[in-house]
Amino acid sequence: MIHLDGVSKIYDNGCVALSDITLDIPKGDFVFVVGPSGAGKSTFIKLIFREELPTKGKLIVNGRNVGELEPSEIPYLRRNLGIVFQDYRLLPNKTVYENVAFAMQVIESSRRDIQKRVSHVLDLVGLRHKAKNFPGELSGGEQQRIAIARAIVNNPVVVIADEPTGNLDPETSWEIMKIFERINRDGTTIVMATHDKTVVDAMKKRVIAIEKSRVARDQVKGVYGYED
Amino acid sequence: MKIRTMEYFIKEALSSLRRNGLMSFASVTTVALSLLILGMFLVMVLNLNNMASTLESQVQISVYLQDGLTDLEMREVGTRITKIPGVVQVNFVGKEEAMSRFKERLGEQQGLLNALGEANPLPNAFEVKVDKTERVKAAAQAMMQFKGVENAKFGQEVVEQLFALTKMVRIFGLIIIVFLALAALFIISNTIRITVFARRKEIGIMKYVGATNWFIRWPFLLEGMMLGFGGALVAVLFLNETYGVLIHQVYESLAFLPLIPQYPFITNISVVLLVTGTVIGALGSTISLRRYMQV
Repeated sequence: MIHLDGVSKIYDNGCVALSDITLDIPKGDFVFVVGPSGAGKSTFIKLIFREELPTKGKLIVNGRNVGELEPSEIPYLRRNLGIVFQDYRLLPNKTVYENVAFAMQVIESSRRDIQKRVSHVLDLVGLRHKAKNFPGELSGGEQQRIAIARAIVNNPVVVIADEPTGNLDPETSWEIMKIFERINRDGTTIVMATHDKTVVDAMKKRVIAIEKSRVARDQVKGVYGYED
Repeated sequence: MKIRTMEYFIKEALSSLRRNGLMSFASVTTVALSLLILGMFLVMVLNLNNMASTLESQVQISVYLQDGLTDLEMREVGTRITKIPGVVQVNFVGKEEAMSRFKERLGEQQGLLNALGEANPLPNAFEVKVDKTERVKAAAQAMMQFKGVENAKFGQEVVEQLFALTKMVRIFGLIIIVFLALAALFIISNTIRITVFARRKEIGIMKYVGATNWFIRWPFLLEGMMLGFGGALVAVLFLNETYGVLIHQVYESLAFLPLIPQYPFITNISVVLLVTGTVIGALGSTISLRRYMQV
């Protein structure tokens, strides 16, 4: 699903974020990307959805060579990806329903499909009863669940999450992780950058540790491995 | 593009217009002012052109003959004039007829002529009409060479002055219009920049969920076009009203001035202004989108 072959990322200011990364994430995998702050986790995530371009090497996501995508092809890459951020990024002046429906509107889905699908994903994250609320009226955990609903509403093949539990308490984090696990069970690949030791250690999923811009560790059923 | 998507674009554009009420107002006003001035210049230039060509088409050459020619010699000159290419009509106006016309023009002040006694200082003349205005000058010059011709005059100077005036108005107007259009462009692109800024979060999310660049751009483009069109509409309404009043006034007091009738003249100018306004709006947003939205 995601394949990196000698991928490096050097920013314009000379900062080396990733160097010579080679790895493979097959379809249906659940992967934690861990490591100290500034080690390259975020860059790794950003490369996958083509927020950043690799400086060197080949990066294939869902069959597309990300490094060689035309700007006009980027939207079509992203339609197969669901992206979840630490800060939720919901639109405050749209209701919960509208926030999720928005992701389908912009790819011009039909009204009927939107109604059906949005209700379904709101059920999935357990917030259908909040459909008419505005994000400001929801707790952090609920907002993140809405963000997840929006990320999966277009049936992505990969969900990418950058510190999705970074702003949440442990209990809420667990609820979020359960949702991700369910999505993963349905066959969606999940790549998650995180600092959450408890979560990583408990989930027993594949762990890729990035240190000093390189892959320091790649374990099946791994652990967090840092004391922070 | 689906109709529902178009609906969505229009809704977004309208809500942006409302949200930035003051900037929208400033944009519409600037566009309206620029286009109003453009419209006024168009009306002026076209009317001056119209006057010049009306006068031109009425131009005839007056060929004055030397005194003391015999009838035969005069007829000879007449025949030669007829043979000049382009000449379509030749009328002989004798001394006596010229005098009676002159008296008529003087009206109540005919008494002035008594001082002349029986003498008639007016020359015999031909009035010559030519088929095309471009030929007037050449024909007049040819006639001047004829034996027995004192002078050949035509309204060349008035016509040339009118054309010179039109040209000046045109150049002057063009400069002003270009500056005003630039100002309108600047204001509109600023308005759109503010909208883009106000909605940067939304734009970011749209990008992440895979909206195409054109999907993101359309609402802003529409907003700019609406601003331009709105401004143009104000200008058009104002111009239409003013020209109607002007025509009315002129017909009442200066009926001889050949003004172009209001319709379809103003309708055509309105179309030009509305299209120009919309294009300025679209251009203004394109400038902003290029600069402030990396999509």
